[in-house]
Amino acid sequence: MALQEMNFTFQAKGDYESIPEEWSHTGVVGSGDLEILLRHEDLGGKVEAKIVTPVKGFDDIWEKVLSKFVESNKVGNVVIEINDNNSTPFIVSMRLKQALAEAKGGIL
Amino acid sequence: MMSWKELQNTSFYESPARERAIGLVDEGTFKELIAPIDKFTSPHLPVLGEAVCFDDGVVTGVGKIGTRPVFVISQEGRFIGGAVGEVGGAKISGLFQVALQLYDKIVDKYPNDYESRIPAVVFSFETGGVRLHESNAGLLAHAEIMEWIQKCRNKVPVISLVGSKVGCFGGMGFVCVATDLVIMSELGRIGLTGPEVIEEVMGKKEFDSTDRALIYRTTGGKHKYIMRDCAFLVDDSIEAFRNQIEEVLKMPYSEIASYRSIGSLELVEEQLSLVGLSTELHPKDSKDVWRYFGNENADQIQDLYYEDFMNSVKIRPRGGR
Amino acid sequence: MAIQKLVGKGRDAIQIILDEGSFEENIIGGFTHQSEIGPGAVIGTGKLKGRTVTVIANDAKVFNPRFPVVYSGIIGMEEAYKMAIAVYKTIEADRGKPASEKRPLILLVDSPGNGPGKQEEIFGMNKATGSYQLALTEARQEGHPVIAMIIGRAISGAFLCHGLQADHILTLSKEHGTMIHVMPLSSIARITKMDIETLQSLSETNPVFASGADFFYKLGGVEEIIDDVSDMSDIISRHVDEIYQLNAEGRSMEAGPWGRGTLGAERGGRGARLEVINKMQQEFAEIENDYL
Repeated sequence: MALQEMNFTFQAKGDYESIPEEWSHTGVVGSGDLEILLRHEDLGGKVEAKIVTPVKGFDDIWEKVLSKFVESNKVGNVVIEINDNNSTPFIVSMRLKQALAEAKGGIL
Repeated sequence: MMSWKELQNTSFYESPARERAIGLVDEGTFKELIAPIDKFTSPHLPVLGEAVCFDDGVVTGVGKIGTRPVFVISQEGRFIGGAVGEVGGAKISGLFQVALQLYDKIVDKYPNDYESRIPAVVFSFETGGVRLHESNAGLLAHAEIMEWIQKCRNKVPVISLVGSKVGCFGGMGFVCVATDLVIMSELGRIGLTGPEVIEEVMGKKEFDSTDRALIYRTTGGKHKYIMRDCAFLVDDSIEAFRNQIEEVLKMPYSEIASYRSIGSLELVEEQLSLVGLSTELHPKDSKDVWRYFGNENADQIQDLYYEDFMNSVKIRPRGGR
Repeated sequence: MAIQKLVGKGRDAIQIILDEGSFEENIIGGFTHQSEIGPGAVIGTGKLKGRTVTVIANDAKVFNPRFPVVYSGIIGMEEAYKMAIAVYKTIEADRGKPASEKRPLILLVDSPGNGPGKQEEIFGMNKATGSYQLALTEARQEGHPVIAMIIGRAISGAFLCHGLQADHILTLSKEHGTMIHVMPLSSIARITKMDIETLQSLSETNPVFASGADFFYKLGGVEEIIDDVSDMSDIISRHVDEIYQLNAEGRSMEAGPWGRGTLGAERGGRGARLEVINKMQQEFAEIENDYL
């Protein structure tokens, strides 16, 4: 019953970029939605992700979505912290892109 | 996130708590206190398997409107209905505490010239009241917030905003009317008991909780405006709320407090005479009360556009009835 | 140990607590409440160990003929305004007197809730319950000790208006049938979709959603639990003295809702609250100069 916590580490291939500010936050933990906190941290280029969610048993899907996000956006030296409430993989991947765009100061 | 300028024309009703907080004060001035990076999540939700949130459903911070420091509390209805738990409740109380401390310091520092500098608290409600998953702590937090509102009186003006999706219900329904002044849009709703509970107590014939129009007639902005439970009714945009706050902050405190509906023997007697009216009228519907106050067009009121409503409405006279 | 259930017996409790024959209903200072308004609330003046006090209680045995949802001690609009008037008239009666002579307010708490009806929403039950709370907080600011004594039901919104603004809150122990909660555990089970056994076992270690006097004690929600009905007068009197003392020393924030927050942390019940408040102080201190 308790909340699930998952931790993953990723490494982008080739060049990578962190976020310009120390941290950036996006989203609201509504039903079927999530919030994402991105933090700059020197991890030798790695990306650490921590997900807290009430949903059990989808670790591999989270890993896949996050890994794809890190790869295709060439993210590094970032900690991703997510509070989720039953989001679909599509929503997760969309919110991740939004979070990165916002962290980079882009208007959506 | 949208830029400050884009936020101004955005629907207040639809906006998340953080966007409201940022857009309500002057451009670029909002500083969040206990921001998501502090990660103060509820210690009680995880054991119940309930999702947590870095701000625990309430955004707190400080910005400026003109020369005035403005402390902002903004509740997030999307997170467990904006309900108040231990952490969120403490953020609200803690913000009142720093607002009042700043007031004392400003009066100390500028004994002859503090009026243009004193802080205000703006509270944007979107909540059903106590968070049941941590109900005891939520209940005790409500009591603390009421104490702070009373402590702010005659010092720090406290302004309530109600115009968000969830409305303002449960214990927060009396917190919001205990402040100096309430600003609503017609989409805002204020009440104590939620529609479902009233239906359960009185039966579906008396009160159908699925009848959206009935719920708005009973708790919505237009009704509250006619009853003088809200001082100003504004359009549904962040800018409209913001402009109204700016106007209010130009008033001397005594004028702001003249909009109070409760908080003194005189006001209690006024409200009690209104209760007397309730027992004489036995209203089946708010429309009966609107008619009593001279609104012959009671049947049309709900459909009137904002401007037409404001131009034609007759509100309850001061002094009761 | 004398167990006597006082649930639904607000008027009996007044007789047990006050000096014999001292209670004058509807009279506070020069004020007399003359109407039939608010039959579910009992207000008046009496003596507690020789000291003049205002008493505000619930009468669970009457129906309010004008409001069908107001019975069994429910606080309706009339009741809440009547209670608020009793507080303001108490302040008025002692205006100008030194703080040490401001009479105490004793709240005898036994109410299952606020009026939940349609008329109540149209005319604003929220204003009624809010009025009473603001009045009590003002009385505290003026120096009147406010002591709440839970003799029966202290439930959700009713407890918020009639009890939780007091300087100190006392309760008869659970053996006396007292109930303190927002919702019974069975309703919380329905909302959280958890079985009641799990909730019960969780509540043993976390008092935050459990119901009853012992859990509220741990959260700092009540100052003291009283095991014997015949001790109520003495213990209430002692708390009145403590509040006079705190007020005289300028320490009124150590009582009331804020003081109970601190008490909660001391008793290990509401730890996060204090951390948040300290953090707020610290973060604002860093930017305070921008606003001075």
